[in-house]
Amino acid sequence: MTPPAIVIIGGGPAGMSAAVAAATQGLSCTIIDEGFALGGQIYRKPTNPERAPAPHPRGEQLRAEVAKLAQQIQVRNGDNVWGIFDELRVAVTSPDQHTELLQPQALILAPGAHELVPPFPGWTLPGVMTPGAAQILIKTMGVAPGKRVLLAGTGPFLLAVACQLVDAGVHVVAVLEASSRPAWLSLPLHGFRTPEILAEGLAYLSKLDRAHVPVRYGRIVVAAQGETELNAVEHAPVDAEWFPDNNRIETEQVDTLLVGYGFVPRLQLAQMAGCNLELRPDVGGWIPIRDRNLATSVAGIFAAGDGAGVAGSLVAALEGQLAGMAAARFLGAIDEATFAAARDSIEQELARLKPLRRALDKISALQPGLMSLVRDDTIVCRCEEVTWREAREAVCAGSTTYRSLKMTSRAGMGACQGRFCWPFLSRLVAAEAKCSLADIGPPSARPPLGPITLGALAPEPRDK
Amino acid sequence: MTNTADVVVIGGGAIGASVAFALARRGASVTLLDASTPGRATSASAGGLWSLGESLGLGCGVILHTAQQGAGDGPAPLPRTLMDFLWASNLRFPSLAAELRTLCGIDIEAEAATGLLYLVYDEEQERHASRIIEWAGSDHGAVEKWAPQHIRDRDPLITHDLRSAIHFPGDNQVNPMLLTEALKRGACAKGARYLAEARVRALRCSNGRIVAVESDKGTIACGAVVNAAGAWGAQIARLAGIEIPIQPVRGQIICTEALRPGTLRSNLSTRDCYILQKAHGEVIIGSTTEYCDFNTEVRYEDMCSLAAGAIRAVPALRKVTLKRAWAGLRPGTPDELPILGAAAELENFFHATGGFRTGIVAAPLTGEVVAASVLGQTPEFPIEPFLASRFQRIYV
Ligand SMILES: Cc1cc2nc3c(=O)[nH]c(=O)nc-3n(C[C@H](O)[C@H](O)[C@H](O)COP(=O)(O)OP(=O)(O)OC[C@H]3O[C@@H](n4cnc5c(N)ncnc54)[C@H](O)[C@@H]3O)c2cc1C
Ligand SMILES: Cc1cc2nc3c(=O)[nH]c(=O)nc-3n(C[C@H](O)[C@H](O)[C@H](O)COP(=O)(O)OP(=O)(O)OC[C@H]3O[C@@H](n4cnc5c(N)ncnc54)[C@H](O)[C@@H]3O)c2cc1C
Repeated sequence: MTPPAIVIIGGGPAGMSAAVAAATQGLSCTIIDEGFALGGQIYRKPTNPERAPAPHPRGEQLRAEVAKLAQQIQVRNGDNVWGIFDELRVAVTSPDQHTELLQPQALILAPGAHELVPPFPGWTLPGVMTPGAAQILIKTMGVAPGKRVLLAGTGPFLLAVACQLVDAGVHVVAVLEASSRPAWLSLPLHGFRTPEILAEGLAYLSKLDRAHVPVRYGRIVVAAQGETELNAVEHAPVDAEWFPDNNRIETEQVDTLLVGYGFVPRLQLAQMAGCNLELRPDVGGWIPIRDRNLATSVAGIFAAGDGAGVAGSLVAALEGQLAGMAAARFLGAIDEATFAAARDSIEQELARLKPLRRALDKISALQPGLMSLVRDDTIVCRCEEVTWREAREAVCAGSTTYRSLKMTSRAGMGACQGRFCWPFLSRLVAAEAKCSLADIGPPSARPPLGPITLGALAPEPRDK
Repeated sequence: MTNTADVVVIGGGAIGASVAFALARRGASVTLLDASTPGRATSASAGGLWSLGESLGLGCGVILHTAQQGAGDGPAPLPRTLMDFLWASNLRFPSLAAELRTLCGIDIEAEAATGLLYLVYDEEQERHASRIIEWAGSDHGAVEKWAPQHIRDRDPLITHDLRSAIHFPGDNQVNPMLLTEALKRGACAKGARYLAEARVRALRCSNGRIVAVESDKGTIACGAVVNAAGAWGAQIARLAGIEIPIQPVRGQIICTEALRPGTLRSNLSTRDCYILQKAHGEVIIGSTTEYCDFNTEVRYEDMCSLAAGAIRAVPALRKVTLKRAWAGLRPGTPDELPILGAAAELENFFHATGGFRTGIVAAPLTGEVVAASVLGQTPEFPIEPFLASRFQRIYV
């Protein structure tokens, strides 16, 4: 079989839009997504359509557009891209551990983001999870995560998930938003060009209001309590830098706590491909450096969507389109004038979305107080169960980078390669070692990104 | 800012940390400077203490040989001086482990009776192995040939499809990162100073001596300088206007998820790879030997051949999950011997590099002999064969 002209990693709004844009120009594309269906995080398809809520119409529309171009677009669901090697070679393994190397002429990275959870006392108790994980339970299977649920963190995503929980009949005790109410009230000033998004936010708030779910601003969770599972949550009001006032702690009896402080781009594919990176805390941390056409520093590799800087699903879809067109231009399938015209109209729409997005990023920017919650015995790396005491001792003895800290404390040594702990651990290390986040750097990314067996690399002679 | 230290050690890998520890223990004032550079050998390494297996060419040597020549005769052993040096260094691990545990509370996971088993798959290998055993003689403990049944009784997961194995009883393993961390903290406990992220940028020379070391963490006036920068050792020497033939030699290595400790009792080497289970349960499978400058990429093809080699030796590994692959840069020399001791060109400049494939097992004794020569004492192992001046004929 001839390799596709373009391989797209990730089948969310960015990946699907990229495929549609490039396939419309006659190019063959393969979308690879580890999920069982296209959609990505926001447009996740239900596995149990009878019980789960109806899927999002924009997601249905994108899936339909991809399906219409089935001649050009091959979809590989359930497969995991675990490595990018020299000369744009992409290593893909299917669930039955069959491995293939694809070598397209262009590569579009659209892997999305993952959620950001800070370590705090009790955060590893069963019953504490991310809003996204709860949402997956509801969206795919129509299952409620718990009976009495508290949400805490920052950003509009919390409100969206709270509404989905309400719709699913779950008792939502409260939503705790770390940023102040005045900060949120200033949003309409920045969103006048995007009234439809403001309206969506207001709809969330009024739904929660009708369901008597309080949204409490300027509060964070400081600890979760329970012996073997969660039974109560302590929360406190915070100052502008999110330092909690521990004299005003309130305790709430709940069986489920959902904590989410935004998203971190999934950077690892870009790292493995050797793309140059930059630190951009405003869009979630380290991201690949891209030019106006969303090209990374490696020829033939483009990056789009939340994986290249968290900006939400609308931006992801637009960037996907642009990356698809740019890849088509790169491969000579369209001329410069056609490309430039398409880019202009996409850029206009991106510019319209930008002010509100910027304002949101600013409101939800992580504040240092969030890093003050860990105690000596708080686990800071879940994979290897490393406590803050162990990590701090290593930092004090001079291990101030991901690489050295991993070697001396095992923090980040686990299967997740620091993906989940490092966004916060790096901030803790920076504070302790009095250096900057940029000095500390991102965790290194090594193959394999997802789980594969040794056998996946060494087929038995008879399967050859 | 100007700091003063009698001895500045450049490079905080196993070798630099060991030199700093040995110096501090002798009462010298020491500053250890390190920078985290991708490819550092110590953190990439497997931690095998294979003083005999590697010297006899039946560790990485045989893997390289097979890759270059296909099956057939094995590689030649390394010079006997190196075997003696590594053997003596290896013997220091039990007491060093105890000392470091007391001094800084770190267990370096120096295992006592793992032993190395070289798996013999075919007749040619068997002939080669017999010659090797004969050459080795019995000075260094009882190297034995094991029959398949004996192998199975001890390590039931090893393939049944082999002819025999050579057992090297004293060739155990250690955790190279914990070894280095403990040596570093031990040095600090004895008064040394450690500066992380202190990349050395320049060496200031005057009247045939180095008078100061300029680093990202300041300039340090010094009485002597030790070059323990591993694969970057030639770059450091060049800062002093000296050429030494150190070349980075890439080793790629893969690692599985943690399995129940004791799943594999012996360290294994074969002509395709070596395999060892670490104290945390992960199984490490290494490693390639390649000259490709400072490139630290992992190659798909090499991951595949390491995996295939491991499955051949231990078929049960087929279903085991792979956790990570990485690569490190060994400090290689043309004759495979380390470069240790005084540099002839400058009065107070010393080398401690060229650890190549055996820098971890060599670390304890390397620290001792280099510290002794810096302080003008008689090293307990003759350092002459390892002096950089041996290359002078070629390099002047
Ligand atoms: C858990 C979660 C829930 C969210 N829920 C909402 C919501 O309800 N409303 C909202 O507005 N925004 C939500 N967001 C944010 C929203 O998902 C993003 O803004 C948007 O989906 C970004 O689109 P994308 O195409 O860039 O990435 P995604 O939609 O995340 O798509 C990326 C896809 O790539 C796949 N992938 C990544 N790496 C690999 C690999 N190595 N191999 C194979 N496949 C891979 C992923 O499985 C995923 O399906 C959520 C984000 C997360 C993380
Ligand atoms: C895959 C692999 C497996 C191995 N397995 C084994 C084994 O099983 N057993 C064994 O005995 N040996 C093994 N080795 C060899 C062993 O790891 C090395 O010989 C040994 O670690 C060398 O130690 P070092 O301290 O000289 O070098 P390194 O550990 O590389 O340390 C050198 C240090 O100097 C620093 N540095 C460089 N430039 C500067 C500068 N300008 N300023 C400040 N610092 C600087 C570097 O960042 C680095 O931290 C293996 C090697 C590899 C790559």
